[in-house]
Amino acid sequence: MRFVLNKVGLLALTLWAAITLNFLLPRLMPGSPADAALAKLAQNGPVSPATKAAVEAQLGVPTGSMWEQYLSYLGSVARFDFGVSYTFFPQSVAGLVTAALPWTIILVGLVTIIAFIFGTLLGVLAAWKRGTWLDTLPTVGGTFASAFPYFWTALLLVFFLGYVGGWFPTSGAFSRSATPEFSLAFVGDALYHAILPATTILITSLGGWILGMRSTMINTLGEDYVTFAEANGLRPRTVALRYAARNAILPNLTSFGLALGAVVGGSLLVERVFAYPGVGYLLYTAVTNQDYPLMQALFLIITISVLLANFIVDILYGILDPRTRR
Amino acid sequence: MTSTNTSTALANRGVPAEIDGPANPLRVVWRAIATIWSVPKARIGVVLLGAFIALAVFAPLIAPYSATDNSFGRSEDMSAAHWLGTTAAGQDVLSQIIWGARVSVFVGFAAGIFATLIAVLVGLSWGYIRTVAGDVINFVVNLFLVIPALPLMIVIAAYLQNGGIGMIILVVVITGWASGARVLRSQTQSLRSRDFVTAAVFSGESPGRVVFREILPNMTSLIVTNFFAAATAAILAEAGLEFLGLGDTTIVSWGTMLFWAQNSNALLTGQWIVLFAPGLCISLLATSLSLINFGVDGLSNPRLREGASR
Amino acid sequence: MKHLRGRITRTALAVIGVTAVLATSACSIDVKNKANNDAPASDGSLLVAADNGSPTFEKNFNPFSPSKRVATTYMYEPLQVINTLDGKATPFLATGNTLPDAQTVVYDIRTGVKWSDGTAFTAADVAFTFNLIKATPALDVQGAWQHIKSLEVKDDTVVFHLKAEDVPAVAIINQQLIVPEHIWKDVKDPLTFTNEEPVASGPYVLDKFSPNEYTLKKNKDYWQADKVAVDKLVLPAANSQLDVVNNGYDWAYAFMTDVEGTWVNADKQHNSYWFPPGGTIALLPNLTKAPFNDLDFREGLSFALDRDKIAVDAEQGYVEAAGQSGLLLPNQEEWLSEDLPNSGAIGQDTEKALAAFEKAGYTKKGDKLVDKAGKQLKITITTANGYTDWLQGLQTVQAQLGKLGIDVKLSQPQPAAYYKALNNGDFDIAITGFGGTGSVFEDFNRLLNSEFATPVGTSTTANFQRFTDPKVDALLADLKAATGEEEQKQIAAELQGVVYEQLPVISMFYGGLWGLYSDKNFTGWPTEDNAYAPPNTWNSTPLLILTNLKKAS
Repeated sequence: MRFVLNKVGLLALTLWAAITLNFLLPRLMPGSPADAALAKLAQNGPVSPATKAAVEAQLGVPTGSMWEQYLSYLGSVARFDFGVSYTFFPQSVAGLVTAALPWTIILVGLVTIIAFIFGTLLGVLAAWKRGTWLDTLPTVGGTFASAFPYFWTALLLVFFLGYVGGWFPTSGAFSRSATPEFSLAFVGDALYHAILPATTILITSLGGWILGMRSTMINTLGEDYVTFAEANGLRPRTVALRYAARNAILPNLTSFGLALGAVVGGSLLVERVFAYPGVGYLLYTAVTNQDYPLMQALFLIITISVLLANFIVDILYGILDPRTRR
Repeated sequence: MTSTNTSTALANRGVPAEIDGPANPLRVVWRAIATIWSVPKARIGVVLLGAFIALAVFAPLIAPYSATDNSFGRSEDMSAAHWLGTTAAGQDVLSQIIWGARVSVFVGFAAGIFATLIAVLVGLSWGYIRTVAGDVINFVVNLFLVIPALPLMIVIAAYLQNGGIGMIILVVVITGWASGARVLRSQTQSLRSRDFVTAAVFSGESPGRVVFREILPNMTSLIVTNFFAAATAAILAEAGLEFLGLGDTTIVSWGTMLFWAQNSNALLTGQWIVLFAPGLCISLLATSLSLINFGVDGLSNPRLREGASR
Repeated sequence: MKHLRGRITRTALAVIGVTAVLATSACSIDVKNKANNDAPASDGSLLVAADNGSPTFEKNFNPFSPSKRVATTYMYEPLQVINTLDGKATPFLATGNTLPDAQTVVYDIRTGVKWSDGTAFTAADVAFTFNLIKATPALDVQGAWQHIKSLEVKDDTVVFHLKAEDVPAVAIINQQLIVPEHIWKDVKDPLTFTNEEPVASGPYVLDKFSPNEYTLKKNKDYWQADKVAVDKLVLPAANSQLDVVNNGYDWAYAFMTDVEGTWVNADKQHNSYWFPPGGTIALLPNLTKAPFNDLDFREGLSFALDRDKIAVDAEQGYVEAAGQSGLLLPNQEEWLSEDLPNSGAIGQDTEKALAAFEKAGYTKKGDKLVDKAGKQLKITITTANGYTDWLQGLQTVQAQLGKLGIDVKLSQPQPAAYYKALNNGDFDIAITGFGGTGSVFEDFNRLLNSEFATPVGTSTTANFQRFTDPKVDALLADLKAATGEEEQKQIAAELQGVVYEQLPVISMFYGGLWGLYSDKNFTGWPTEDNAYAPPNTWNSTPLLILTNLKKAS
């Protein structure tokens, strides 16, 4: 029980620190939201002095001392009220985030689960068939693929499969004229649009799972109880799957938990290349436009999801493996 | 790299050999190299890395032109004069690739070393002490782990405008040390309860000595692994930041090449090689480090050694 | 186990090798042209890359909002639309205006116009709109009430009484988009109102809206409906250059690398481009700082630059080098002073540059330009991160000044920080664009008026270099009050002389407006020979284009 209480206390403290950091980080950036908006307008032609005054008045750029801003910020966080976005004025931050979240969670979440399952299976296979091509191909291929820069893989897929081949759409989450709804046609359309971004994430993340599972599996295969099981004449397949893999998967489950937590914030570059309307793209827009309210809300959601995933994994691990409780 | 040196230096000063302590430092290093070399994957990695380092060091000799000379035709196809064609601004792509190796190799090694240093210092002390200070470190490390790295990098990079390579190294180190510290901490925790550590503690050795002389040498391979992982992450992070245009776009590196290629729509003009080549180099460099890691794994854990039968 | 190693190595090498071979052996791929896959060919609609989602669209058609959807200005009309290329006004909701004196403007309001819901448009709507932006200054994006003292409706006219003799105020009043009183009088907070069902007077009304695309359809009751040939406008949210080239757009605003090989090549028969100058890109020396406050020093910089090469490197040869007249040429050619040698163009002259630098106290020593203490001259040019064309131009500046022995550093803060640095005078020398409002007075006023030259550290919105000269202020005041064209031209010529001789900015090249057209479905696009509108897709000038297009036969 003390173990859990300890963890909860730490969680609360980390949460507070993260919330505070969320407050400070955007304000450390040089230039104000109005400056960002005006710099954008200035790209389209000269900005008159009146425009500047009007934009500042419209955005309601933060007033008061840092301390006052901080207190009102804490209050609004507690109420889950993140105010109005500067970039998409007068849209509410909450509305923008709720619109973006499902896209990211479904795309990246599903791909993470698929990558974990396939990667782990391939890792088991690689460790079991050590030294054969079944080992070398996934390990070397996985190592190489996981060294691809995300955005580069994305650009290549866009070019070869989307542009030259013309088989897949190159941007967006659904067709130009479609409106999000729960219909078979729309879901099919969305899936079709998700293929390239999903492939990008799969290609670059599969290797990590293969290598992780392979190395823990190899360690486990050397344990005495596995040797004992083998000596008892159990079929090699039974030994590998029932005895070794089941134990070896524990550390990888930890990583899996953390990866799920990182889903929300993990796909900025991919979403940027594919113009995918998820959290990553929204965050990119917020950062480049100095949109404090939007940035704060997104940072908070990303941080909280990672924190919670961490917390759950810690607790589960403490239950599964008592040695780590100290 | 540093950590390997530390452990051998310590051995030089005549620290009594521990349970699996090293006998002769030269022999240890030699054995380490031989072990890595004996792993075929690692061997490929070493060769690849060596090639990239050579490319970086001898860039002025190898490159056919200056990387910033924009006096050639724009968006030219591959030819005898320009093996990989020219960019939209009229620079020679091959020369840019060769000069660009310098930045990636340097950033990878520098960021890898700094991130590993911090990870070792924090991870080991954190794993060893059981006082309130440990909780404080735990708190700080957790904080760094939960803050989304890429967004944090973007904010910092935007704040430290155009610090160039130094800024990128700093950003990568700030966001990259925590995970290494966490891994090293758990290893320290498990070593802490080993007999040789207990023996050292009872013989009255100071905590610092116990941590850095008894425990550290036993984690060499983990630290080296951590270094290569950090260097890989640094190379990819650098490319990502520069691709987003947050680095100094006037320097020639693989990341900025990708930025300019995307910016001038190399795909539209059919110059896909301008996009393909730098990305491939980044991947190959990062792969070479990961491949070497296969050999390093085998250093401390014979089970992971390639070819060893179970 | 030894035999395995060979195999592992081979497989590993094969994986890497195949990719490497791909990298080096293949040549550039010929991209298939799939133009007009999606394009609605002859159903009377026009596909335009005007509005970019980020990445999708939020519904906001509030004409006062800076984050409104771009096509809002295709639905709402101003009193008159000004062609920003030459400053000429075309009447829309007004039929014209007169100035009884330099302090009064009378607009004749068009009769017989209906809002898209059928209600009649009257002069009262105009008065309502101006009173609305007076009551909520945050809506007054043009700053009309900085010029207007009061206004009154007289039958079908609206009379504006100005605060001072202020002829250029007409240009500002002209541009205000007019909203219907019967809708907007009930809007509680016009600032946050997103106006999802716009009722407007213009040629188009909202048709369908989805996050990835919205369409406008022709307003059947439009007062000049006979001039509107396009039945439907289609505005997608994703307009990457790949999309623009491939999907058969009719109209796009985009800087395209190698425009001949990409856009034109996609449909040689129909696709064309027009890149008229839209502003002057210049180096802006901070006149409050040494050595930039020294005219000799600025002259040295000016002579050191090869503007043609800078223009080519920055914009790939699509724009011309800029002269030092302060005018946007050729758009404002009729204003050009005859006294300026060579129409104001300044060529590179290294000897003159070195002589000027010597007068400023910098001499050549070896391959370095050094000050009296023998230290090399170092200057830092500020630009915005991500403005890549400017950056490429500056890299050439860097090389050219480098040849003279000047150590040039480039500082590239994020756009917001760059803009703040300009506002506060927190720079040594910066790159910026000026001009292009269509009004010669506005252009010179923002460039030279000491009213904007606030002390360094306080924010201003124009004259960032902080130029002050009482004589120039007097000239500007005269120009503001001048009603006769000859008189205006004479004063403008004197102002050009100031810019040419005193170098408050060092002009480098004209920034382009990147218009891409296809005449497959519609013809009558503005071109160099028929420059009735700039090619941009935002603000009110598209109204000029949309009322000028004809169906292709």
